[in-house]
Amino acid sequence: MPEVQLRIENLRKTFHPGLFERAVEVLKGLNLEVERGEIFGFLGPNGAGKTTTIKAITGLVNLDEGEISIGGHAHDSMEAKRLIGFMAENPYLYTYLSGREYLRFSARLLGIEDAEIDDRVEGALGQVSMDRRADQKMRVFSKGMLQRIALAQALLGEPALLILDEPMSGLDPIGRRDVRDIILAQKDQGVTVFFSSHIIPDVETVCDRVATVIDGSVSEIGAVRDLLAREVERYEVTFTGLDPKVLTTPLVSAQMGSDAAWVRVDAGQRDALISELARQRARLVSLTPVRSTLEDLLLRQYEEGAAS
Amino acid sequence: MTAIRIIAANTFREALRDRILYLFLGFSIVLLASSKLFGILTVGEQDKIIKDMGLAGIQFFLMLIAVMMSVLLISREIDSKTVYYILAKPVRRWQFLLGKYVGLLATVLVNLFLMSVMLVLFVWLYGGGFDPRLFLATSMIGLEMAVLVAFATLFSVLTKPILGSVFTLAVFVVGHVSQDLWLLTRHLPGSVGRTLVSLLYYVVPNLERFNFKTEVVHQLPIPAAAIGLSLVYGLVFTALLLVLACLKFEGKDLQ
Repeated sequence: MPEVQLRIENLRKTFHPGLFERAVEVLKGLNLEVERGEIFGFLGPNGAGKTTTIKAITGLVNLDEGEISIGGHAHDSMEAKRLIGFMAENPYLYTYLSGREYLRFSARLLGIEDAEIDDRVEGALGQVSMDRRADQKMRVFSKGMLQRIALAQALLGEPALLILDEPMSGLDPIGRRDVRDIILAQKDQGVTVFFSSHIIPDVETVCDRVATVIDGSVSEIGAVRDLLAREVERYEVTFTGLDPKVLTTPLVSAQMGSDAAWVRVDAGQRDALISELARQRARLVSLTPVRSTLEDLLLRQYEEGAAS
Repeated sequence: MTAIRIIAANTFREALRDRILYLFLGFSIVLLASSKLFGILTVGEQDKIIKDMGLAGIQFFLMLIAVMMSVLLISREIDSKTVYYILAKPVRRWQFLLGKYVGLLATVLVNLFLMSVMLVLFVWLYGGGFDPRLFLATSMIGLEMAVLVAFATLFSVLTKPILGSVFTLAVFVVGHVSQDLWLLTRHLPGSVGRTLVSLLYYVVPNLERFNFKTEVVHQLPIPAAAIGLSLVYGLVFTALLLVLACLKFEGKDLQ
C-alpha cells in the first residue's frame, strides 16, 4: 500500500470578515490523501477553496474542524514544517533584498548549517536559472523572476513535500516549461509535489493524480486517465449530401461547410446517426472518436457546480 | 532563539535600508539649531538648555520611530504577505513576532545610542563638561521606547497600520499625563466618568516613571530604588504586552 505523505480529513473553515459582514464558509469537509512520491494536481474554479486549503496545510489559517498530517506529523508541528517547501500564488518577497540575500535568509530560517548555505543557495538558484541575476535587488525583478526566486526558496530545504500554489501563473512559455521540468525532476528525486494550477494542459501533462474542488469540497479525485475514461466519449462525423438540420438523432454540435457537414454526437448515439445517414442517402466521409480533455471534465464540473 | 535572532537581524536591515538612521541626522540638525538659538537667549545656562532640549528631542524622534516604523514594519509583513514564506518554514508565530520586536527595538536603540553620544558631545562642546548621567536619562528613554514598541507590536496584530500608529501615539500622550489622570479621578463628578478614567490610568503605563530629565539636567540626586522600580515596571509591562500580542497573533488567520 502506498505511503501517504499528506492527509487532509474533514477540513472545515469559515471566515468571519467583520461585525456587519456575512460569514463565508470556504471549506465544507474537504478530504484527500496524497501519496508519497506522486505529483498531485489540485484544481478548481476561483473561490472553490484551493488557496485556503493550501494555507491551512502550511499553517497560515487555523482550522475550524478537521485534521491535516504531513508525513505522519500534525501539520503545525515543527517536524511537519521541516518536510515542506512552499511557494504562494504570488511571489511575496522582501524587495529590499537581493535574490541571493533572500535565499540566504531563508536558508538560515530553515536551519541549514552555515557551511552548507552557499552550496544550497547556488544549487537552488541554478535550478531556477537565476544564478546570474541573483545579486540585484528584487524590487527591479519582473514577476517571472520573482516567481523563480520564490520557487528557489521552496526548493532550498530539500523538502519531502513541495506545495506550489499556481506555480506557472505569470510565467512565459519558457518559464512554464522550466517549472514543469523542475516539478518532474523533484518527482524523480522522490519528492511529493502538491500543486494547484489554472493551466490545465500543464496539470494534465505532469500530474499522476488530480483532485477537483468545487464549493469547498473535493468533487473528484483520481488518476487523470481514469477520470477521463469516465467522461462520455464522443464522435465527430463528417458527411456529404445532407443538411444536418434535418437529422433527428440528438447532436452535441453541428456545422455545415460548402462541401461537407460535421457533427458531434455522444458515443451512445453513434450507431443511430450512422443508420440515419444511410437512410437519408448521405455519404459518410469519416468517423473520428473525440478524446475528452481534463479541461472538458472541469468545465462540466464547474457548470454542474454552478447550476446546483 | 535562532529564528528570533535571524528575523530580528533582517528587520534591523530593513529599517536601515528604509533609511531610518536619517532621523539621527534630523535630530543632530535640530540639536545644533536649537543650541545656537537658545544660546543667544540664555546666558550661563546654555548647557542645561542643550541637555533639556537634547533629551526632549531624543524622546520625540524615538517616539516617531516607535509609532511609525513598528506598526508599519509588522503590518507590512502581513499586508504584503511576506510573512507567508516565513511561517511556512519551521518558525513559530511567537518567534516571528518577537523577532520583529527585537529588530525594531534594536533600530530604536542604535538611534538612541548615536543620539546620546551626539548630545554628550554637544554638552561638552558648549562647556558643560562630560556628564555621564545623560546616559542614565537616555537609557530610561530607551526603556520607555521598549514599552511603546511593545504597544505598537500589539496594535499591529490587532488593527490596521494607521489605527495602530494612532493608538500608539495615544498611549504615548496619555502615558505622560497619567498622574494627572489619577488626580482627575478624585475631582470627577459621577462614578461612570471616574471609573473610565481610572481604567485608562491602570491600562496605559505611567511613562513619566521613565522621565529622569529634570534630575539629570539640574544635577538632582536619583535614588537607586527609583531606577530599579522603573526598570521592573518597564520590563513587566513590556513582557505582558508581548505575551498578549503573541496570543492574538497565534489565533490570527493570514488571508
